[in-house]
Amino acid sequence: MQTKLGAVAGLVLAAATFAVTSAVPAQAQVRNSGASPIALQAVLSDSISVNLSGNAVNFNLVGGSANNPGSTSITATTTWILKPSVGSLKLYAFFSSSTSALTDGAGNNIPSADFQLSDNAGAFTALTNTVPFGGANAGLQVSSTPILGNNKSGTRNDVMNFNINLAPLPNLPAGVYTGTLTIQAQAI
Amino acid sequence: MTTGKLLRIAVAGLAMTFAVSMASAQALNSGAQTIALNANLTESLTLSLSASAVNFTLAAGSAANAGSTNITATTAWTLKPGRTAVGVYAYFVSAAAALTDGAGDNIPSSAFFISDNGGASTALTSTVAFGGANAGYQMANVAITGLNKTSSHTDVMAFNINLTGGTLPQLPANTYTGTLNIQAQATP
Repeated sequence: MQTKLGAVAGLVLAAATFAVTSAVPAQAQVRNSGASPIALQAVLSDSISVNLSGNAVNFNLVGGSANNPGSTSITATTTWILKPSVGSLKLYAFFSSSTSALTDGAGNNIPSADFQLSDNAGAFTALTNTVPFGGANAGLQVSSTPILGNNKSGTRNDVMNFNINLAPLPNLPAGVYTGTLTIQAQAI
Repeated sequence: MTTGKLLRIAVAGLAMTFAVSMASAQALNSGAQTIALNANLTESLTLSLSASAVNFTLAAGSAANAGSTNITATTAWTLKPGRTAVGVYAYFVSAAAALTDGAGDNIPSSAFFISDNGGASTALTSTVAFGGANAGYQMANVAITGLNKTSSHTDVMAFNINLTGGTLPQLPANTYTGTLNIQAQATP
């Protein structure tokens, strides 16, 4: 009897051993490493650029005349790529000084109040505002573009015509008057 | 002051600094593009006359031989700094023969008179900037100050020929012609 029981136990043990050993090869076929993350960062930098079609304007002045147009118009092309938080893009024209936008270098000046700019055939407007750039009361906001969902990247043209009004300066002496008008854009 | 209070103040300060830096970071500016301006107010001095002919019906030996019409000379200028005066002159090329019949009979400039703007009649006997010696008259002298670098001046001229002097009472009957010039000069 004891011999019989020993035989049965041996059979059970053998079967169990087979079952276990036969199952092990199925698990060993797939072996995973640990996950190794790669951090990705794509930066689309915000930018604004302004390009001008020309960099010089001449005026043949007539003493006391309100109409002294510039020799040429200049187109300012503003191109931008902006962040979602930006609400508008503004283009400014300005002088560093309102009292001497142009000067003959001998103490005779043409103030910014007598320098006029027409944007895209609009009305001529004197540069008498204080804008983010330039001197106090020496600037003009040429244009303002709302930034919406469909123009985070965009471009616009401002065709600028110029005029010098000498009606308020009837006693301006003859001479050559020079100055620098600056064009700059700001997104905010 | 407790440590907690100091901590709160520090946190508030940091928050304000952060807010300011965030606000300033919202504005994005383009580069500044410049336009060189060159305005030339040319120096000018012009003189125009309301008419260019005067007739005289002469009476032999008479002091009063008025011209048929007055003539207005309008002088306009835009001057450079440094100019101090504008002179307006009337003159003949020759003092001896202001008017002539072409046959050797002449009316000298000393017998030709101009009344400027209702003033006294004055013979053309001075040597002026233009014309012959002793054949001119400075009608006007306008001082140039900072207030009239660009301006104008009007001279209303009335004319007379005085036939009483020298041999003029013996002037033969004939047609006498001549050219009176009106010219302005800015000095220095």
